[in-house]
Amino acid sequence: MEFDWSVIEDALPALLGGARLTILITLIGLAGGLVVGFVAGLMRAYGNVVMNLIAFTYVELIRGTPIVVQVMFIYFALPVLADIRVNPLTAAYVAIVVNAGAYIAEIVRGSFLSVHKGLKEAGLALGLPTWKVLVYIIGPVAFRRMIPPLGNQFIVSLKDTSLFIVIGVGELTRQGQEIMAANFRAVEIWSAVAILYLLMTGTLTLILRVTEKRMRML
Amino acid sequence: MSVVEFRKVTKTFGPVVVLREVDLSIDAGEVVVLIGPSGSGKSTLLRCINALEEINGGDLIVDNISVLSGRRQIRIIRQEAGMVFQQFNLFPQMTAVDNVAFGPRRVRGLSKRESLEQARELLAKVGLSDRGHHYPAELSGGQQQRVAIARALAVKPKLMLFDEPTSALDPELRHEVLRVMQALAEDGMTMIVVTHEMTFARQVGTRLIFMEDGKISVDGDPTTLLKNTENPRLRDFLQHVH
Amino acid sequence: MKLRNLLIAAFATTIAFAQPSRAEDLIVATDTAFVPFEFKEGDKYVGFDIDMWDAIAKEIGVTYTLQPMDFNGIIPALQTKQVDVALAGITIKDERKKVIDFSDGYYDSGFLLMVPTDSDIKSAENLKGKVLAVKTGTSATDYAKEHFKDTELRQFPNIDNAYLELQTGRVAAAMHDTPNVLYYVAKAGGGKVKAVGEQMMAHQYGIGFPKGSELVAKVNTALANMKKDGRYNDIYKKWFGTEPQS
Repeated sequence: MEFDWSVIEDALPALLGGARLTILITLIGLAGGLVVGFVAGLMRAYGNVVMNLIAFTYVELIRGTPIVVQVMFIYFALPVLADIRVNPLTAAYVAIVVNAGAYIAEIVRGSFLSVHKGLKEAGLALGLPTWKVLVYIIGPVAFRRMIPPLGNQFIVSLKDTSLFIVIGVGELTRQGQEIMAANFRAVEIWSAVAILYLLMTGTLTLILRVTEKRMRML
Repeated sequence: MSVVEFRKVTKTFGPVVVLREVDLSIDAGEVVVLIGPSGSGKSTLLRCINALEEINGGDLIVDNISVLSGRRQIRIIRQEAGMVFQQFNLFPQMTAVDNVAFGPRRVRGLSKRESLEQARELLAKVGLSDRGHHYPAELSGGQQQRVAIARALAVKPKLMLFDEPTSALDPELRHEVLRVMQALAEDGMTMIVVTHEMTFARQVGTRLIFMEDGKISVDGDPTTLLKNTENPRLRDFLQHVH
Repeated sequence: MKLRNLLIAAFATTIAFAQPSRAEDLIVATDTAFVPFEFKEGDKYVGFDIDMWDAIAKEIGVTYTLQPMDFNGIIPALQTKQVDVALAGITIKDERKKVIDFSDGYYDSGFLLMVPTDSDIKSAENLKGKVLAVKTGTSATDYAKEHFKDTELRQFPNIDNAYLELQTGRVAAAMHDTPNVLYYVAKAGGGKVKAVGEQMMAHQYGIGFPKGSELVAKVNTALANMKKDGRYNDIYKKWFGTEPQS
């Protein structure tokens, strides 16, 4: 089989549309995942027994199951249990929020707890309430330490969006597959899809590098 | 009138008793030097004063407030009792001047400009007016500890607690910190200092307390005690630190 | 500023989750990897099933949204009432009738073998000891499991993966629904593959519905009308180039 560039040319608009959706799902999913992850992570690190248990259960449930199973559960099982109709895109957003949230929770917990205990004491000794110590002293130090693992999670989540192919979300991988089902040009289409993913993850890596460089690591 | 008053204070860590019914009263203007073998409870005694350690028995009054009277009151105690740590514990994400300005801004509610102005004055007082824009990692240990002293002073406390402030420093850097402390004492600050610096105890201290096994066993004038003590274990201890 | 954007996005997520899909539009699930019944052309889904459904929808007066899905997700989606209608060249089978409802049959199909042009396989009898590529969850797979005991099956999520496996020579033959095999041989095979043997197990495709759907009767009437007045024939000719034999 010869590599036919015109195949890619024809497929590009649809693939770019898919890439846009991939980016959208990733952005919304990660925004939600950060919120969920911070709440759950702080509950794990500083919450009372009940809060800790809730967050722990959530994290373990998600980390202990494959994301495909979570997607299937949200899309197929949840509607039956709750008697609601979930559209695939919503299921995709929720899946990334819930999944990334659990991993981010562990990153948040680890980073906060890795900050030297003396800093907390120094803040408290000035007469600050605990929440201000977390926000102004521990938080900024912990946040810097989170950047590398968060970046890793962002890339993982971006690639995880390709799993939504099973519920028909028209993201990049699905677009590629659909085009291929009609023109049967596997080599050209998968090459184009791979390069688009590399462009997206590459950009993400670059942004993270720059952020890391501009912030002093502590 | 006493600034700090221990009334039969007991502190335990699990099964280990660290302070055994300690009674102690410290007046304004005193410079108390706390010494004793490791594990004798001197650091814990200091940390009970600003409630970094919770007491298990008795009562402890700091500036007329009991450490048992709740979180809000404890925060007021902490504002009145500044603390300097062995490991400096400067906020690494802030420059020296921001470290010093932090307390007044977030605790006392000063404006950014006021707090920075005051921070620069305090840095000048500890001899670091040219290091304000440096981050802690860019400063020597002695400089970091002087910034830490300025940071504690910025909240305008009535007394200062020093927890082995020179132990983490190389010998040649200790004197710059001790000089700052001495100046502070000469200004009339009430100070409680856990240290092994006997020269400082003799020259600056107004009172020497020797702790053993969770109790105060010797309490008196530093010059007299260091020259000639009747307590054999204090004599033994002094021989080791000299 | 960045934080605010994040918050807005998070808020949007909540909204998206809370909002039910529009009630007036039927959700029509469709496979997207089954030429010439449903596949993607440019940014639109086209094919025989798509045209036929559009005509039916006009006749019974409903609006709809197409929802592309994996073939294997379609029956579960009907069962859980995630979708209202399914177009995927679904073979009407008794096991499937237990969990979903079907319209009357709208297309006569069967299975055909595809082999490399230089292959010596002439019919299903020659498959002994060979490897056969099929698509997971399809009737063709069920048929192969039952009838070709001595043939190793290699299952793929989509039929184009199976055809590609054949092209690369890792399987001796691929089996799928007749119209799809013929389309591939004619349009995409590049002269390297051919269809061989007799069509196996004639069967019919039906439109799928959730159990007890009120749409079944309406769709059947519409389908019958279309067959009578020639609209069905027009669509058939457009996609298969011939009139339906009947």
